Amino acid sequence: MGEVPLLKELYAQHLDQGVVVVGISLDDELKPLQEMVSSKGMAWPQIHDADQSLVKLYNVKGTPTYYLIDREGKIVAKDIPMKKLGGAIDELLRK
Amino acid sequence: MMRRTTLDRLFGNVGSLGLALFLALTVNAQNTPTPDKEMDRVQAMISQARNDAEQFSKSGGKPVDANNPNLRWAAALWEYREKHPGTPATVIATIEALRLLNRADRLSELQAKADTLKPDDPAWKQVFYVLMSAASKSKDYSYLISKAEALAQAALDPEIRAQARFNIGDAYWRTKDNDRARKAFQTVVTEYPGTKFAQEAEGNLREIEFLNLGQPAPEFARTTLAGNPISLGGLKGKVVVLKFWGTY
Repeated sequence: MGEVPLLKELYAQHLDQGVVVVGISLDDELKPLQEMVSSKGMAWPQIHDADQSLVKLYNVKGTPTYYLIDREGKIVAKDIPMKKLGGAIDELLRK
Repeated sequence: MMRRTTLDRLFGNVGSLGLALFLALTVNAQNTPTPDKEMDRVQAMISQARNDAEQFSKSGGKPVDANNPNLRWAAALWEYREKHPGTPATVIATIEALRLLNRADRLSELQAKADTLKPDDPAWKQVFYVLMSAASKSKDYSYLISKAEALAQAALDPEIRAQARFNIGDAYWRTKDNDRARKAFQTVVTEYPGTKFAQEAEGNLREIEFLNLGQPAPEFARTTLAGNPISLGGLKGKVVVLKFWGTY
């Protein structure tokens, strides 16, 4: 989970700029998910996709997978690596 | 592929030692103590090859260098294959030899060796991944496609045929030839129902249709862990990052 600190930073930086992070967890069990969300201090909303319906809807093939969606609800990037996410968000915010 | 297997989860924390112990116990429980000495031998070659490659790259060696140890080990593993046809250890040696050639960027050598594999060689199940990796490095999918086309006709094992068709779809998709990709994925869905390849092909068909850049992200409405309703429509006007992840 080395990406969590990066995402936390990104989340904190963009919180006031109209950027929302939504975690969608593929875990079977709820408990480890709840525990990690609180122990790592993930402040963004979390969905427990226990039935994998969102995984199917977005054809997610592995974790972690990021989708970036613009203000109109359109897909801007899929499967984008964490290190490119910040730049892509900044670019969207400039538009 | 998408999720770790139960075995992975069970042993994720204790690592391969735990797995080895588990396998040893299972073997004892079944009272079939048949240690595969040949498999051990091949595994030892593979781990020595990894050590050598690590040293080589640490000392500044480049994949294309003539003294890349991957080339030496690829040759040794291939020689093993030729001397010991038809065993489980041979399958592993074959796959690793080709993988090492790919790592050393010897694509024509890789292809020449892959050409000698019979359509029903069990190594194909992994060799497809090696060829896909080689194709994506060189951005040239023509060899993979022609090989997969041939196997989709000639292999007796339906799993190899399904995988061949799936790879054709994937290769065309990566070259942005969506019509041919769609056709290949549809063939996998109709001809090999119930397989993991059919399931993945179905997902890819949906992605080709609905998940392109610029298309509206599929709507969903759920409840968050904190108990609040959330929907994508409700987030309009905001930039949204969806992170699919797992604690495992």
